[in-house]
Amino acid sequence: MTRLVLDELLDPSEVRVVVERAADGRLTGARLSLADLPRVEPLLVGRPIARVPAFVERLCGLCPAAHHLAGVRALEALAGIGPLPPQAVAIRRLLHHASAVAAHAERAGAVGGERSALAALAGFARSTLDAVGAQSHFPTTAAPGGVRVGVSPATRDALRHAAPEALAAAHRLALDALDQSDALDQSGARGESGARGGAGDAGADPSFTGADVALVDADGRPDLLGTHLRVVAADGGVLHAAEPAARFDAVLAESRPGAPAPRPYLRALGADRGRYRVGPAAQLGVGPLTTPLAADAQARWSDGARTASAARAVMVLAAVEAIAEVLGDDDVSLPVVPGAPVDLAALAGVPAGAVGVGWVDGPRGLLVHRYVAGGDGLLRAATILTPTAQNEPWLADLLRAAVARSAAAGALERAVREADPCLPCTAAPLGTMRLTVTDARVPRGT
Amino acid sequence: MCVAIPARIEEITPGPLPTARLDVAGRSASCCLAYLPQAAVGDYVLVQNGFAVLLLDPLSAAESLAAFADLGLWDGLGDGLLDAPG
Repeated sequence: MTRLVLDELLDPSEVRVVVERAADGRLTGARLSLADLPRVEPLLVGRPIARVPAFVERLCGLCPAAHHLAGVRALEALAGIGPLPPQAVAIRRLLHHASAVAAHAERAGAVGGERSALAALAGFARSTLDAVGAQSHFPTTAAPGGVRVGVSPATRDALRHAAPEALAAAHRLALDALDQSDALDQSGARGESGARGGAGDAGADPSFTGADVALVDADGRPDLLGTHLRVVAADGGVLHAAEPAARFDAVLAESRPGAPAPRPYLRALGADRGRYRVGPAAQLGVGPLTTPLAADAQARWSDGARTASAARAVMVLAAVEAIAEVLGDDDVSLPVVPGAPVDLAALAGVPAGAVGVGWVDGPRGLLVHRYVAGGDGLLRAATILTPTAQNEPWLADLLRAAVARSAAAGALERAVREADPCLPCTAAPLGTMRLTVTDARVPRGT
Repeated sequence: MCVAIPARIEEITPGPLPTARLDVAGRSASCCLAYLPQAAVGDYVLVQNGFAVLLLDPLSAAESLAAFADLGLWDGLGDGLLDAPG
């Protein structure tokens, strides 16, 4: 029996950075303890499959739209549903991109920037979410095969009217973030030259040699709600051009299945060499963006310090542009066809052993829901692969580089903010993140 | 995965690290408000690892707790265990 003990979820626990040293005191590694991020899959087994997405989004609570859409996509894969009507695609795109904007704009420490720009973006995101069935914290927007809500022409026009101010704020935010990371890059000592370059004092790790993994559209261009996965090595080589969700098991695997820190890897390179990262820096690393302002900012990011904090701001701009694009498309105001989403009871007919994978690129990166049907409408097994779990090896590299440069708390904080794990500490105002550092001696030969 | 629990703020103790006394589905608990200083008594919050991280509307909070109970993950007795089936 798996139990989540309420006290463990409610009792304050500071983030622990474990610094690993050899017997002679030499630094061998550093990592963030993920003990406070339990795996919830055992709680899901035996539940009605149709209810699993809603349950996961409520257990997580912090990225409900990303879990909502990844889960519904997994159900669609199980039931063989698709392609979606254009109006459903449009409304899901509004939900997903607005939730990404909100996730970053509501945390000043995530992207920096002026308070007025962040407030404008948060307000625009809120209005968009309200329009697509996310008036409460947990969206009811999507159902397998479609969406439950429509956007009236009047609401669409109001959002269109508000979009230019949001675009201007996002553009300002991105340019400011690029200025800041470039300034840190020039003022700080660069680390050893790496395939991607990098800014030592900006928190970036120039030595990270893992791949970038992100979702893309049919043309291989980054898309937060893309249908295919693209993997690009640090040297720019394309390891996977565009893999559909059904190929998930062939592309990624967990070294330690079911562990809070599962150490996922790219199967093609093996557990030792298959390191990778997800999230805004990876999204900018897999290919050129499709929207003009963000593409210009991406080009500048690529030539500069390439920090993840600046990448987040660029992806906020890309998300606002994506919203504006959808608002310009009349599909968003097509009437919702009653009964268009399939009857969830149809999922009861999914044969035992069938696997459905749904994924989205959320504000922190790739989120995967993988469900295995039990043949009776119940869930036999599941994997919920989160961005934080996938970025744990990258964060370990960032922390090790930070410890090697400086033991100052500020250096560790910048490293943690780069990877942006899903922990309360990332909501802390800049410079106030509380981290507990513990030393661990690594026995010889391990 | 991050796991966040909805709770209602009953009382706030201000200070450099403000804390809140919470009601979690009838059970008393506490959390740190350092990352959500705008929270007030009566507000619903999402609590992760002992920190309030998000203001939550009352309906969402109630729906979450109801979903936990409906799925058999909330014992309803206040001893704070979420049990898996079996």
